[in-house]
Amino acid sequence: MMTTTELEEMVERKTGQHVVKMKGVSKIFPNGNVAVDNVDIDIADGEFISFVGPSGCGKSTIFKMISGLVENTTGEIEILGSQVQTAQQKRTDVGFVFQDATLLPWRSVLENVMLPLEFQRMSKVEKREEAERALKLVGLKDYAKSLPRQLSGGMKMRVSIARALVAKPKLLLMDEPFGALDEITRQSLQSELLRIWESQKMTVLFITHNVFEAVYLSTKVAVMTPSPGKIASTVNVSLPFPRDDEIRTTHQFSDIVARVSRDLKF
Amino acid sequence: MGNVQTEKLEVNNEMANRKKVNWKFLHSWVPPLIAFLIVMLAWQFGTAMLQIPPYILPKPTDVFMATVDNWSRLWDSASTTILESVIGFFFSVVIGVSGAIIMASSKILERSLYPYAILLQTIPIVAIAPIIVIWFGSGMNAIVIIAFTIGFFPMLSNTLIGLNATDRGMLDLLSLYQASKWQIMWKIRIPAALPYIIAGLKISCTLAIIGAIVGEYIAGIGGGDGGLGYAITVASTTMEIPYLFACGIAASILGIVFFLLVSLLSKVLLGSWHESEMKKD
Repeated sequence: MMTTTELEEMVERKTGQHVVKMKGVSKIFPNGNVAVDNVDIDIADGEFISFVGPSGCGKSTIFKMISGLVENTTGEIEILGSQVQTAQQKRTDVGFVFQDATLLPWRSVLENVMLPLEFQRMSKVEKREEAERALKLVGLKDYAKSLPRQLSGGMKMRVSIARALVAKPKLLLMDEPFGALDEITRQSLQSELLRIWESQKMTVLFITHNVFEAVYLSTKVAVMTPSPGKIASTVNVSLPFPRDDEIRTTHQFSDIVARVSRDLKF
Repeated sequence: MGNVQTEKLEVNNEMANRKKVNWKFLHSWVPPLIAFLIVMLAWQFGTAMLQIPPYILPKPTDVFMATVDNWSRLWDSASTTILESVIGFFFSVVIGVSGAIIMASSKILERSLYPYAILLQTIPIVAIAPIIVIWFGSGMNAIVIIAFTIGFFPMLSNTLIGLNATDRGMLDLLSLYQASKWQIMWKIRIPAALPYIIAGLKISCTLAIIGAIVGEYIAGIGGGDGGLGYAITVASTTMEIPYLFACGIAASILGIVFFLLVSLLSKVLLGSWHESEMKKD
Protein backbone atom coordinates (compact mmCIF):
# COMPACT_ATOMS: atom_id res chain seq x y z
CA MET A 1 0.00 0.00 0.00
CA MET A 2 1.39 3.34 -1.02
CA THR A 3 1.31 6.34 1.26
CA THR A 4 -0.54 9.47 0.29
CA THR A 5 2.67 11.42 -0.27
CA GLU A 6 4.00 8.74 -2.59
CA LEU A 7 0.82 8.84 -4.60
CA GLU A 8 0.83 12.58 -4.76
CA GLU A 9 4.40 12.49 -6.00
CA MET A 10 3.34 10.09 -8.71
CA VAL A 11 0.66 12.43 -9.94
CA GLU A 12 3.13 15.27 -9.63
CA ARG A 13 5.66 13.53 -11.84
CA LYS A 14 3.31 13.52 -14.76
CA THR A 15 2.73 17.20 -14.41
CA GLY A 16 4.96 20.22 -14.76
CA GLN A 17 4.48 23.76 -15.96
CA HIS A 18 1.07 25.49 -15.81
CA VAL A 19 -1.02 25.22 -18.94
CA VAL A 20 -4.08 27.10 -17.70
CA LYS A 21 -4.07 29.76 -15.00
CA MET A 22 -7.28 31.41 -13.87
CA LYS A 23 -7.22 34.10 -11.23
CA GLY A 24 -10.36 35.71 -9.83
CA VAL A 25 -12.29 34.93 -13.00
CA SER A 26 -15.98 35.82 -13.07
CA LYS A 27 -18.56 35.95 -15.80
CA ILE A 28 -21.62 38.10 -15.29
CA PHE A 29 -24.09 38.10 -18.17
CA PRO A 30 -25.80 41.36 -19.18
CA ASN A 31 -29.01 40.21 -17.46
CA GLY A 32 -27.13 40.17 -14.14
CA ASN A 33 -26.88 36.39 -13.97
CA VAL A 34 -23.59 35.37 -12.35
CA ALA A 35 -22.53 32.29 -14.32
CA VAL A 36 -19.06 31.99 -12.88
CA ASP A 37 -18.00 33.59 -9.61
CA ASN A 38 -14.39 34.25 -8.67
CA VAL A 39 -12.74 31.09 -9.94
CA ASP A 40 -9.06 30.42 -9.21
CA ILE A 41 -7.45 27.38 -10.73
CA ASP A 42 -4.03 26.41 -11.98
CA ILE A 43 -3.81 23.45 -14.29
CA ALA A 44 -0.40 21.92 -14.75
CA ASP A 45 1.03 20.46 -17.94
CA GLY A 46 0.06 16.86 -18.54
CA GLU A 47 -2.86 16.93 -16.16
CA PHE A 48 -6.28 15.39 -16.82
CA ILE A 49 -8.75 17.52 -14.94
CA SER A 50 -12.50 17.05 -14.88
CA PHE A 51 -15.09 19.66 -14.01
CA VAL A 52 -18.07 18.01 -12.35
CA GLY A 53 -21.28 19.72 -11.40
CA PRO A 54 -24.99 19.99 -12.07
CA SER A 55 -26.27 21.88 -15.09
CA GLY A 56 -26.05 25.63 -14.73
CA CYS A 57 -22.95 25.62 -12.53
CA GLY A 58 -20.87 27.42 -15.15
CA LYS A 59 -18.77 24.49 -16.40
CA SER A 60 -19.38 25.29 -20.02
CA THR A 61 -18.93 29.01 -19.44
CA ILE A 62 -15.45 28.36 -18.02
CA PHE A 63 -14.61 26.40 -21.17
CA LYS A 64 -15.97 29.10 -23.41
CA MET A 65 -13.83 31.65 -21.60
CA ILE A 66 -10.73 29.49 -21.93
CA SER A 67 -11.41 28.98 -25.65
CA GLY A 68 -12.12 32.68 -26.16
CA LEU A 69 -15.73 32.22 -27.33
CA VAL A 70 -16.93 34.22 -24.32
CA GLU A 71 -15.09 37.07 -22.63
CA ASN A 72 -14.58 37.00 -18.87
CA THR A 73 -16.03 39.92 -16.90
CA THR A 74 -13.28 40.04 -14.27
CA GLY A 75 -10.00 38.31 -13.53
CA GLU A 76 -7.22 36.92 -15.65
CA ILE A 77 -7.01 33.84 -17.81
CA GLU A 78 -3.72 32.60 -19.16
CA ILE A 79 -3.42 29.61 -21.42
CA LEU A 80 -0.13 28.11 -22.56
CA GLY A 81 1.73 31.09 -21.19
CA SER A 82 -0.23 33.87 -22.87
CA GLN A 83 -3.47 35.79 -22.36
CA VAL A 84 -6.54 34.27 -24.00
CA GLN A 85 -6.99 37.09 -26.49
CA THR A 86 -3.42 36.93 -27.81
CA ALA A 87 -3.37 33.16 -27.64
CA GLN A 88 -6.01 33.21 -30.39
CA GLN A 89 -3.18 33.56 -32.87
CA LYS A 90 -1.97 30.00 -32.44
CA ARG A 91 -5.11 28.04 -31.89
CA THR A 92 -3.68 24.78 -33.10
CA ASP A 93 -2.37 24.42 -29.55
CA VAL A 94 -5.91 23.86 -28.34
CA GLY A 95 -8.30 21.13 -29.47
CA PHE A 96 -12.05 20.98 -28.89
CA VAL A 97 -14.59 18.20 -28.57
CA PHE A 98 -18.26 18.97 -27.95
CA GLN A 99 -21.17 16.80 -26.88
CA ASP A 100 -22.34 16.64 -30.49
CA ALA A 101 -19.79 15.20 -32.85
CA THR A 102 -20.54 18.19 -35.17
CA LEU A 103 -19.28 16.39 -38.26
CA LEU A 104 -19.97 17.72 -41.74
CA PRO A 105 -22.42 15.24 -43.26
CA TRP A 106 -21.23 15.86 -46.84
CA ARG A 107 -17.60 15.09 -46.06
CA SER A 108 -16.00 11.69 -45.61
CA VAL A 109 -14.51 10.77 -42.23
CA LEU A 110 -11.01 11.59 -43.47
CA GLU A 111 -12.07 14.96 -44.89
CA ASN A 112 -13.80 15.78 -41.62
CA VAL A 113 -10.63 15.08 -39.68
CA MET A 114 -8.64 17.22 -42.12
CA LEU A 115 -10.85 20.26 -41.48
CA PRO A 116 -8.74 22.00 -38.77
CA LEU A 117 -5.64 21.69 -40.95
CA GLU A 118 -7.32 23.54 -43.79
CA PHE A 119 -6.74 26.80 -41.96
CA GLN A 120 -3.01 26.17 -41.78
CA ARG A 121 -0.24 26.28 -44.30
CA MET A 122 0.40 22.68 -45.03
CA SER A 123 0.67 20.58 -48.16
CA LYS A 124 -2.26 18.41 -49.19
CA VAL A 125 -0.21 15.24 -48.72
CA GLU A 126 0.84 16.31 -45.24
CA LYS A 127 -2.76 17.10 -44.24
CA ARG A 128 -3.78 13.67 -45.44
CA GLU A 129 -1.01 11.93 -43.54
CA GLU A 130 -1.80 13.81 -40.34
CA ALA A 131 -5.51 12.99 -40.66
CA GLU A 132 -4.71 9.32 -41.25
CA ARG A 133 -2.45 9.32 -38.20
CA ALA A 134 -5.22 10.83 -36.05
CA LEU A 135 -7.75 8.30 -37.35
CA LYS A 136 -5.37 5.47 -36.54
CA LEU A 137 -5.08 6.84 -33.02
CA VAL A 138 -8.82 6.47 -32.46
CA GLY A 139 -8.98 3.12 -34.23
CA LEU A 140 -10.94 4.23 -37.28
CA LYS A 141 -8.28 3.81 -39.97
CA ASP A 142 -10.55 1.58 -42.03
CA TYR A 143 -13.42 4.04 -42.05
CA ALA A 144 -11.59 6.93 -43.71
CA LYS A 145 -13.83 6.91 -46.76
CA SER A 146 -17.13 6.42 -44.90
CA LEU A 147 -19.66 9.19 -44.50
CA PRO A 148 -20.68 10.25 -40.97
CA ARG A 149 -24.22 8.91 -41.38
CA GLN A 150 -22.82 5.41 -41.85
CA LEU A 151 -21.24 5.48 -38.37
CA SER A 152 -22.66 4.78 -34.94
CA GLY A 153 -22.78 7.44 -32.24
CA GLY A 154 -19.62 6.17 -30.59
CA MET A 155 -17.73 6.10 -33.87
CA LYS A 156 -18.84 9.64 -34.68
CA MET A 157 -17.43 10.73 -31.34
CA ARG A 158 -14.14 9.00 -32.19
CA VAL A 159 -14.00 10.95 -35.45
CA SER A 160 -14.67 14.12 -33.49
CA ILE A 161 -11.79 13.26 -31.14
CA ALA A 162 -9.52 12.49 -34.10
CA ARG A 163 -10.40 15.90 -35.55
CA ALA A 164 -9.44 17.55 -32.26
CA LEU A 165 -6.15 15.64 -32.14
CA VAL A 166 -5.12 16.14 -35.75
CA ALA A 167 -3.35 19.44 -35.10
CA LYS A 168 -1.42 17.91 -32.16
CA PRO A 169 -2.88 20.18 -29.47
CA LYS A 170 -1.14 20.75 -26.15
CA LEU A 171 -4.48 21.39 -24.50
CA LEU A 172 -7.67 19.45 -25.21
CA LEU A 173 -11.02 20.86 -24.08
CA MET A 174 -13.82 18.30 -23.95
CA ASP A 175 -17.34 19.49 -23.14
CA GLU A 176 -19.44 16.46 -22.10
CA PRO A 177 -18.16 14.46 -25.05
CA PHE A 178 -19.67 11.15 -23.97
CA GLY A 179 -22.91 12.59 -22.59
CA ALA A 180 -25.06 11.26 -25.41
CA LEU A 181 -23.58 7.76 -25.56
CA ASP A 182 -24.77 4.53 -23.99
CA GLU A 183 -22.89 3.21 -20.94
CA ILE A 184 -21.00 0.44 -22.77
CA THR A 185 -19.76 2.70 -25.55
CA ARG A 186 -19.01 5.36 -22.97
CA GLN A 187 -16.75 3.08 -20.94
CA SER A 188 -14.81 1.84 -23.94
CA LEU A 189 -14.30 5.42 -25.13
CA GLN A 190 -13.13 6.42 -21.64
CA SER A 191 -10.41 3.75 -21.70
CA GLU A 192 -9.48 4.80 -25.22
CA LEU A 193 -9.26 8.44 -24.20
CA LEU A 194 -6.93 7.58 -21.30
CA ARG A 195 -4.73 5.57 -23.65
CA ILE A 196 -4.53 8.51 -26.06
CA TRP A 197 -3.88 10.99 -23.26
CA GLU A 198 -1.02 8.83 -21.97
CA SER A 199 0.55 8.40 -25.41
CA GLN A 200 0.20 12.03 -26.53
CA LYS A 201 1.73 14.62 -24.31
CA MET A 202 -1.18 16.89 -23.59
CA THR A 203 -3.39 18.37 -20.93
CA VAL A 204 -7.06 17.49 -20.95
CA LEU A 205 -9.89 19.56 -19.48
CA PHE A 206 -13.01 17.46 -19.33
CA ILE A 207 -16.57 18.49 -18.48
CA THR A 208 -19.01 15.88 -17.23
CA HIS A 209 -21.87 15.48 -14.81
CA ASN A 210 -20.98 11.85 -14.23
CA VAL A 211 -18.91 11.47 -11.05
CA PHE A 212 -17.71 7.94 -11.92
CA GLU A 213 -16.49 9.13 -15.31
CA ALA A 214 -14.67 12.07 -13.72
CA VAL A 215 -12.91 9.93 -11.12
CA TYR A 216 -11.98 7.18 -13.58
CA LEU A 217 -10.39 9.58 -16.06
CA SER A 218 -8.82 12.34 -14.05
CA THR A 219 -5.74 13.22 -12.09
CA LYS A 220 -7.85 15.93 -10.43
CA VAL A 221 -11.55 16.62 -10.17
CA ALA A 222 -12.84 20.18 -9.81
CA VAL A 223 -16.22 20.03 -8.09
CA MET A 224 -18.52 22.88 -9.08
CA THR A 225 -21.68 24.14 -7.41
CA PRO A 226 -24.33 26.36 -8.99
CA SER A 227 -25.81 29.82 -8.40
CA PRO A 228 -23.37 31.42 -8.49
CA GLY A 229 -21.15 28.92 -10.32
CA LYS A 230 -17.93 28.32 -8.45
CA ILE A 231 -15.38 25.64 -7.71
CA ALA A 232 -16.36 24.14 -4.34
CA SER A 233 -13.32 21.89 -4.03
CA THR A 234 -10.57 20.23 -5.99
CA VAL A 235 -10.13 16.52 -5.32
CA ASN A 236 -6.89 14.72 -6.20
CA VAL A 237 -7.51 11.32 -7.72
CA SER A 238 -4.54 9.33 -6.44
CA LEU A 239 -5.15 6.21 -8.49
CA PRO A 240 -2.26 4.84 -10.53
CA PHE A 241 -2.05 4.87 -14.33
CA PRO A 242 -2.59 3.02 -16.59
CA ARG A 243 -6.08 2.45 -15.28
CA ASP A 244 -8.12 -0.51 -16.39
CA ASP A 245 -11.77 -1.37 -15.89
CA GLU A 246 -11.00 -3.26 -12.67
CA ILE A 247 -10.10 -0.03 -10.95
CA ARG A 248 -13.77 0.94 -11.02
CA THR A 249 -14.52 -1.73 -8.41
CA THR A 250 -11.72 -0.90 -5.94
CA HIS A 251 -12.25 0.68 -2.52
CA GLN A 252 -10.03 3.63 -3.34
CA PHE A 253 -12.15 4.39 -6.38
CA SER A 254 -15.42 4.33 -4.47
CA ASP A 255 -13.89 6.41 -1.65
CA ILE A 256 -12.98 9.16 -4.09
CA VAL A 257 -16.39 8.94 -5.78
CA ALA A 258 -17.99 9.32 -2.35
CA ARG A 259 -15.81 12.33 -1.56
CA VAL A 260 -16.66 14.07 -4.84
CA SER A 261 -20.36 13.28 -4.44
CA ARG A 262 -20.30 14.74 -0.92
CA ASP A 263 -18.66 17.93 -2.13
CA LEU A 264 -21.29 18.24 -4.84
CA LYS A 265 -24.03 18.41 -2.22
CA PHE A 266 -22.69 21.61 -0.68
CA MET B 1 -31.00 -32.32 -45.58
CA GLY B 2 -30.39 -29.01 -43.91
CA ASN B 3 -28.62 -27.70 -46.97
CA VAL B 4 -31.45 -28.56 -49.25
CA GLN B 5 -33.82 -26.74 -47.01
CA THR B 6 -31.74 -23.58 -46.87
CA GLU B 7 -31.34 -23.68 -50.63
CA LYS B 8 -35.06 -23.95 -51.05
CA LEU B 9 -35.49 -21.12 -48.66
CA GLU B 10 -33.07 -18.96 -50.63
CA VAL B 11 -34.87 -19.70 -53.87
CA ASN B 12 -38.12 -18.78 -52.23
CA ASN B 13 -36.57 -15.60 -50.94
CA GLU B 14 -35.30 -14.69 -54.37
CA MET B 15 -38.66 -15.26 -55.89
CA ALA B 16 -40.26 -13.23 -53.20
CA ASN B 17 -37.78 -10.43 -53.88
CA ARG B 18 -38.45 -10.48 -57.60
CA LYS B 19 -42.16 -10.47 -56.96
CA LYS B 20 -41.70 -7.62 -54.55
CA VAL B 21 -39.84 -5.53 -57.14
CA ASN B 22 -42.43 -6.24 -59.79
CA TRP B 23 -45.21 -5.50 -57.42
CA LYS B 24 -43.54 -2.26 -56.34
CA PHE B 25 -43.22 -1.25 -59.98
CA LEU B 26 -46.83 -2.06 -60.67
CA HIS B 27 -47.84 -0.40 -57.46
CA SER B 28 -46.35 2.96 -58.47
CA TRP B 29 -47.10 3.00 -62.19
CA VAL B 30 -50.32 1.16 -62.85
CA PRO B 31 -52.82 3.24 -60.81
CA PRO B 32 -51.91 6.60 -62.41
CA LEU B 33 -51.86 4.98 -65.86
CA ILE B 34 -55.31 3.50 -65.37
CA ALA B 35 -56.61 6.84 -64.11
CA PHE B 36 -55.10 8.53 -67.16
CA LEU B 37 -56.71 6.04 -69.55
CA ILE B 38 -60.12 6.40 -67.89
CA VAL B 39 -60.00 10.19 -68.11
CA MET B 40 -58.87 10.03 -71.74
CA LEU B 41 -61.61 7.57 -72.69
CA ALA B 42 -64.25 9.59 -70.84
CA TRP B 43 -63.03 12.72 -72.58
CA GLN B 44 -62.94 11.05 -76.01
CA PHE B 45 -66.35 9.39 -75.86
CA GLY B 46 -67.98 11.92 -73.56
CA THR B 47 -67.40 14.78 -75.98
CA ALA B 48 -68.71 12.62 -78.84
CA MET B 49 -71.79 11.51 -76.92
CA LEU B 50 -72.66 14.95 -75.59
CA GLN B 51 -71.91 16.40 -79.03
CA ILE B 52 -69.61 19.09 -77.67
CA PRO B 53 -68.19 20.95 -80.68
CA PRO B 54 -64.39 20.81 -81.11
CA TYR B 55 -64.08 24.62 -80.75
CA ILE B 56 -65.33 24.26 -77.17
CA LEU B 57 -63.65 21.01 -76.15
CA PRO B 58 -61.68 19.09 -78.77
CA LYS B 59 -61.35 15.32 -78.41
CA PRO B 60 -57.94 13.92 -77.33
CA THR B 61 -57.52 12.56 -80.86
CA ASP B 62 -58.14 16.08 -82.27
CA VAL B 63 -55.46 17.47 -79.98
CA PHE B 64 -53.09 14.69 -81.00
CA MET B 65 -53.74 15.35 -84.72
CA ALA B 66 -53.21 19.07 -84.20
CA THR B 67 -49.89 18.30 -82.53
CA VAL B 68 -48.75 16.09 -85.39
CA ASP B 69 -49.96 18.46 -88.12
CA ASN B 70 -48.39 21.55 -86.55
CA TRP B 71 -45.32 19.80 -85.17
CA SER B 72 -42.69 22.17 -86.61
CA ARG B 73 -44.66 25.24 -85.55
CA LEU B 74 -45.12 23.84 -82.06
CA TRP B 75 -41.49 22.80 -81.77
CA ASP B 76 -40.30 26.28 -82.80
CA SER B 77 -42.54 27.93 -80.21
CA ALA B 78 -41.51 25.46 -77.53
CA SER B 79 -37.80 25.91 -78.19
CA THR B 80 -38.18 29.71 -77.99
CA THR B 81 -39.92 29.31 -74.63
CA ILE B 82 -37.27 26.85 -73.44
CA LEU B 83 -34.49 29.28 -74.35
CA GLU B 84 -36.18 32.21 -72.60
CA SER B 85 -37.01 30.32 -69.47
CA VAL B 86 -33.58 28.69 -69.21
CA ILE B 87 -31.85 32.09 -69.46
CA GLY B 88 -34.33 33.63 -67.00
CA PHE B 89 -33.89 30.68 -64.63
CA PHE B 90 -30.12 30.89 -64.91
CA PHE B 91 -30.14 34.54 -63.89
CA SER B 92 -32.58 33.98 -61.03
CA VAL B 93 -30.33 31.23 -59.68
CA VAL B 94 -27.07 33.16 -60.05
CA ILE B 95 -28.43 36.47 -58.77
CA GLY B 96 -30.68 34.88 -56.14
CA VAL B 97 -27.91 32.72 -54.66
CA SER B 98 -25.21 35.37 -54.77
CA GLY B 99 -27.64 37.96 -53.37
CA ALA B 100 -28.39 35.61 -50.49
CA ILE B 101 -24.69 35.02 -49.86
CA ILE B 102 -24.06 38.77 -49.72
CA MET B 103 -27.02 39.30 -47.37
CA ALA B 104 -26.00 36.37 -45.16
CA SER B 105 -22.50 37.76 -44.81
CA SER B 106 -23.75 41.01 -43.28
CA LYS B 107 -26.73 41.48 -41.00
CA ILE B 108 -26.92 45.17 -41.93
CA LEU B 109 -27.15 44.38 -45.63
CA GLU B 110 -29.76 41.74 -44.97
CA ARG B 111 -31.83 44.09 -42.88
CA SER B 112 -31.64 46.89 -45.43
CA LEU B 113 -32.16 44.87 -48.63
CA TYR B 114 -34.40 41.94 -47.75
CA PRO B 115 -37.59 44.01 -47.30
CA TYR B 116 -37.24 45.23 -50.88
CA ALA B 117 -36.79 41.70 -52.14
CA ILE B 118 -40.10 40.86 -50.43
CA LEU B 119 -41.64 43.96 -52.00
CA LEU B 120 -40.46 42.80 -55.42
CA GLN B 121 -42.12 39.46 -54.75
CA THR B 122 -45.45 40.94 -53.70
CA ILE B 123 -45.91 43.08 -56.82
CA PRO B 124 -47.99 40.97 -59.23
CA ILE B 125 -45.81 40.18 -62.21
CA VAL B 126 -48.59 41.01 -64.69
CA ALA B 127 -48.74 44.49 -63.20
CA ILE B 128 -45.08 45.30 -63.84
CA ALA B 129 -44.67 43.29 -67.03
CA PRO B 130 -45.87 46.16 -69.29
CA ILE B 131 -43.28 48.45 -67.67
CA ILE B 132 -40.57 45.89 -68.33
CA VAL B 133 -41.71 45.68 -71.95
CA ILE B 134 -41.56 49.47 -72.25
CA TRP B 135 -38.06 49.57 -70.77
CA PHE B 136 -36.52 46.62 -72.58
CA GLY B 137 -38.60 46.49 -75.76
CA SER B 138 -40.98 43.76 -76.73
CA GLY B 139 -39.04 40.61 -77.37
CA MET B 140 -36.54 38.26 -75.85
CA ASN B 141 -34.98 40.70 -73.36
CA ALA B 142 -38.22 41.66 -71.67
CA ILE B 143 -39.41 38.05 -71.53
CA VAL B 144 -36.17 36.83 -69.97
CA ILE B 145 -36.38 39.60 -67.38
CA ILE B 146 -39.95 38.65 -66.51
CA ALA B 147 -38.96 34.97 -66.20
CA PHE B 148 -36.05 36.05 -64.00
CA THR B 149 -38.18 38.28 -61.76
CA ILE B 150 -40.66 35.55 -61.01
CA GLY B 151 -38.02 32.92 -60.19
CA PHE B 152 -35.64 35.18 -58.32
CA PHE B 153 -37.33 35.48 -54.94
CA PRO B 154 -37.73 31.77 -54.14
CA MET B 155 -34.01 31.34 -54.87
CA LEU B 156 -33.05 34.29 -52.71
CA SER B 157 -35.22 33.48 -49.71
CA ASN B 158 -34.54 29.73 -49.73
CA THR B 159 -30.79 30.23 -49.95
CA LEU B 160 -30.87 32.87 -47.23
CA ILE B 161 -32.81 30.61 -44.87
CA GLY B 162 -30.35 27.81 -45.59
CA LEU B 163 -27.31 30.00 -44.97
CA ASN B 164 -28.74 31.28 -41.71
CA ALA B 165 -29.70 27.82 -40.48
CA THR B 166 -26.14 26.53 -40.14
CA ASP B 167 -25.52 24.47 -37.02
CA ARG B 168 -24.37 26.70 -34.14
CA GLY B 169 -21.81 24.17 -32.90
CA MET B 170 -20.25 23.98 -36.34
CA LEU B 171 -19.90 27.77 -36.51
CA ASP B 172 -18.35 27.86 -33.03
CA LEU B 173 -15.90 25.18 -34.01
CA LEU B 174 -14.83 27.02 -37.14
CA SER B 175 -14.34 30.26 -35.27
CA LEU B 176 -12.19 28.36 -32.78
CA TYR B 177 -10.04 27.27 -35.72
CA GLN B 178 -9.59 30.94 -36.61
CA ALA B 179 -11.42 30.49 -39.91
CA SER B 180 -12.20 33.73 -41.72
CA LYS B 181 -15.76 34.80 -42.49
CA TRP B 182 -15.43 33.69 -46.10
CA GLN B 183 -13.80 30.39 -45.20
CA ILE B 184 -16.79 29.69 -42.96
CA MET B 185 -19.07 30.67 -45.83
CA TRP B 186 -17.44 28.37 -48.39
CA LYS B 187 -16.62 25.42 -46.19
CA ILE B 188 -19.72 25.26 -44.00
CA ARG B 189 -22.57 27.60 -44.73
CA ILE B 190 -22.94 27.13 -48.49
CA PRO B 191 -22.68 23.31 -48.45
CA ALA B 192 -25.06 23.19 -45.48
CA ALA B 193 -27.49 25.42 -47.40
CA LEU B 194 -27.41 23.18 -50.46
CA PRO B 195 -30.64 21.30 -49.61
CA TYR B 196 -32.41 24.66 -49.27
CA ILE B 197 -30.90 25.91 -52.52
CA ILE B 198 -32.15 22.78 -54.29
CA ALA B 199 -35.62 23.32 -52.83
CA GLY B 200 -35.45 26.84 -54.31
CA LEU B 201 -34.37 25.45 -57.68
CA LYS B 202 -37.37 23.11 -57.72
CA ILE B 203 -39.73 26.03 -57.22
CA SER B 204 -37.97 28.46 -59.53
CA CYS B 205 -37.53 26.11 -62.49
CA THR B 206 -41.27 25.74 -63.05
CA LEU B 207 -41.88 29.41 -62.21
CA ALA B 208 -39.38 30.39 -64.92
CA ILE B 209 -41.56 28.71 -67.55
CA ILE B 210 -44.68 30.39 -66.20
CA GLY B 211 -42.76 33.68 -66.28
CA ALA B 212 -41.65 33.15 -69.86
CA ILE B 213 -45.20 32.36 -71.01
CA VAL B 214 -46.66 35.35 -69.15
CA GLY B 215 -43.92 37.45 -70.73
CA GLU B 216 -44.80 36.20 -74.19
CA TYR B 217 -48.46 37.04 -73.60
CA ILE B 218 -47.53 40.62 -72.93
CA ALA B 219 -44.37 41.17 -74.94
CA GLY B 220 -45.48 39.12 -77.93
CA ILE B 221 -42.89 37.57 -80.15
CA GLY B 222 -39.51 36.86 -78.67
CA GLY B 223 -36.41 36.55 -80.78
CA GLY B 224 -37.99 36.31 -84.23
CA ASP B 225 -40.35 33.42 -83.54
CA GLY B 226 -42.95 33.65 -80.85
CA GLY B 227 -42.86 31.24 -77.94
CA LEU B 228 -45.68 29.09 -76.56
CA GLY B 229 -47.37 32.04 -74.86
CA TYR B 230 -47.47 33.91 -78.13
CA ALA B 231 -48.68 30.79 -79.98
CA ILE B 232 -51.49 30.45 -77.42
CA THR B 233 -52.67 34.06 -77.93
CA VAL B 234 -52.57 33.57 -81.71
CA ALA B 235 -54.35 30.21 -81.59
CA SER B 236 -57.13 31.64 -79.42
CA THR B 237 -57.78 34.54 -81.81
CA THR B 238 -57.76 32.27 -84.85
CA MET B 239 -59.94 29.74 -83.04
CA GLU B 240 -57.49 26.83 -83.52
CA ILE B 241 -58.74 25.24 -80.34
CA PRO B 242 -57.07 21.79 -80.70
CA TYR B 243 -53.73 23.53 -81.32
CA LEU B 244 -54.39 25.75 -78.32
CA PHE B 245 -54.73 22.60 -76.24
CA ALA B 246 -51.56 21.18 -77.76
CA CYS B 247 -49.66 24.36 -76.77
CA GLY B 248 -50.99 24.21 -73.22
CA ILE B 249 -50.00 20.57 -72.87
CA ALA B 250 -46.56 21.29 -74.35
CA ALA B 251 -46.08 24.07 -71.77
CA SER B 252 -46.87 21.76 -68.87
CA ILE B 253 -44.62 19.03 -70.30
CA LEU B 254 -41.81 21.60 -70.35
CA GLY B 255 -42.46 22.33 -66.71
CA ILE B 256 -42.41 18.64 -65.80
CA VAL B 257 -39.17 18.00 -67.72
CA PHE B 258 -37.54 21.00 -66.05
CA PHE B 259 -38.61 19.75 -62.66
CA LEU B 260 -37.36 16.23 -63.33
CA LEU B 261 -33.97 17.56 -64.44
CA VAL B 262 -33.63 19.56 -61.22
CA SER B 263 -34.70 16.51 -59.20
CA LEU B 264 -31.99 14.51 -60.93
CA LEU B 265 -29.44 17.17 -60.02
CA SER B 266 -30.71 17.04 -56.45
CA LYS B 267 -30.17 13.26 -56.34
CA VAL B 268 -26.63 13.66 -57.64
CA LEU B 269 -25.69 16.43 -55.19
CA LEU B 270 -27.47 15.31 -52.04
CA GLY B 271 -27.98 11.58 -52.56
CA SER B 272 -25.06 10.51 -50.42
CA TRP B 273 -25.67 12.63 -47.35
CA HIS B 274 -28.99 14.43 -47.07
CA GLU B 275 -32.12 12.82 -45.63
CA SER B 276 -34.37 14.20 -48.35
CA GLU B 277 -32.62 12.24 -51.11
CA MET B 278 -31.67 9.05 -49.31
CA LYS B 279 -33.23 5.78 -50.33
CA LYS B 280 -36.10 4.85 -48.08
CA ASP B 281 -36.01 1.34 -46.71
